[in-house]
This record gives sequence, structure tokens and C-alpha cells, in this order.
Amino acid sequence: MHIPDGYIDLPIALAVAALSVAVLSLAAKRVNGEIPDSRAPLLGVVAAGVFAAQMLNWPIPGGTSAHFVGGAFAAILLGPHLGALCVATVVAIQALVFGDGGLVVLGANVFNMAIVEVYVGYAIYRVLAPYGEFRAAFAAGWLGITAGALAAAVQLGLSSAFEYQLLTTLAIMGVGHLALGLVEGAITAFVYRYLARARPDLRPDAAAEVTA
Amino acid sequence: MSRLPDWLPRALAALLVLTLLAPVFGWAAGQVGYAEPLENAAEATGATDHASATGTAPFPDYGVAGLGGPTGTLLSAVVGTALTLLLGAGIGRLLGADADHGPN
Repeated sequence: MHIPDGYIDLPIALAVAALSVAVLSLAAKRVNGEIPDSRAPLLGVVAAGVFAAQMLNWPIPGGTSAHFVGGAFAAILLGPHLGALCVATVVAIQALVFGDGGLVVLGANVFNMAIVEVYVGYAIYRVLAPYGEFRAAFAAGWLGITAGALAAAVQLGLSSAFEYQLLTTLAIMGVGHLALGLVEGAITAFVYRYLARARPDLRPDAAAEVTA
Repeated sequence: MSRLPDWLPRALAALLVLTLLAPVFGWAAGQVGYAEPLENAAEATGATDHASATGTAPFPDYGVAGLGGPTGTLLSAVVGTALTLLLGAGIGRLLGADADHGPN
């Protein structure tokens, strides 16, 4: 889902980048001074885990492959604001160090994966958690990545490189990630369940973190 | 320095396993041909030619100049994971409750 330079028209890329900066600044403000010292390394470990997991492309028969993005996972484990900062760190390193995703469109990639996927995923998790955490985490990963893909599709579909074919980009990206998102949902749910059982003290609500 | 959490060694071991898996998955994905919906959408609308490579990244496409595919992928995975770990922990520390009056 990493958009390369040249795909999105400059005014759209700049507008979305400004939005990303605004949201991440607010997120940093909301958590500033609220993170217990013992949880600081957790942000690094989750970010590193998301980076490493994103390098694992799961081959899918039929000539496609998908990788875990981890936005909803980070949001559930860290809370949405730290989750957004965590995934934004990953997306920035991917673009700057590995050329994965463009530089002009970095703000757009951050918006889609670190903001839309994180906050939508978190909202879905919170709404569904009373009906079962496993199911909630699955839906958060599945629909979070689909929402991120739809955000990307809107940016692409309104750009000249894609000949303003908004319906085409929405259909291909939306349907594609709705299917691939099942893998995202499954990984999110299974890994979160494992962590929640193994280390209940790492859950966000165990550490009086800002949650909304 | 504050004390490190007891779960850290196991977390680092898990990260190491993930980085070791990167070349394996890279090879497997190459066997089926890498394509994701973004690329399919680009092909359907004729946008593919508009993509411009950034060209300034030190490890372009998770590879290392002069090193073979799997070795370059492994090195990229190790460097990227370590860098993300340090940067993420640094941000966590900066935003931490004890950032201004932490134990020394």
C-alpha cells in the first residue's frame, strides 16, 4: 500500500501531508508526559515488530502477495495516539532508508497507514471489544487496513496519473484489501490474544494510559 | 539509565526471528510474483509509468548494492529493525512521564 512518488498530484499530496502533521502533533500532545518509563521501550519494540513483519510478504496463490501492516495491532496494544506515532515512524524509515513509498507522498502514506488504519482500527476494536476481544481485534485489523486502502484509493483516484478514475481505484483497492485484510485481521487477533494472555500487564488499560 | 523491563530479552528474540524470516518470505513472494492491489489499480488506469523512484535511499528496495538478494534482504531487515527499535524507544522516552525528572 506504499504509494510511490508520481502517483498523487502535488496539491493532494501536500494537503494530506499537512493533515498528517496536524494529527500526529495532536497525538504527541495527548500522550506527552503520560507514558510510564517502563512502557517507553514497548513503543520501540512494537515499531520494530511492525517494521520486521511488514518485510514478510505472504505469497498468495494466484500471483499476489500481501504483508501485515499492523496499524490496528499497534493501536490496540499502545492506544491510538502512540499507535499512530509508532506506525508513522515505521513508514518514515521505509521511505527514507529503503525507498519504499515516495518522499513527496510520505505524508499521504503516513495518513493512510499510520492515521486512518490506526484510528479506524482502534475505534472498531473499542466498539466490538465488549462482544469478545479476539473478534474485535480481528475486525479491527481487517476493516482498519481496508479503510486505509480506501483512503489511498481516493487520493489516487483524484490524481491525473490515474486519469481521475476514482471508481476504478476504489473498487480495486477496496475489494483487494477487503480480501487480503482477512490475513491482517487473523494476525492481529492471534498475536494480540497471545500477548494479552502471556503478559496481561502490557495491555494499555493495565497502565492507565490515555485511551481516547 | 532506568531498569529495562523483564520482557525485553524475549521481545528482542522475537524480533530476531522475524528478521531471519525476511529473506525466506522474500524468496517465496518472488516465486508467485509480487503484486498488490495498488499495482493492479495502477495497471488498470495506465498510471504505472508515472511512478518515479526516489533514488536517494541507502538501501533501495530492501537490498544492498553488491550483495545478493537474500543477503541484502537480511541486512536490510536487521538494519531497519534496529533503527526502528531505537527511534521508537527514543520517541517513547521523549514523551515519557519521567522525561524531565527521570532517574539518572
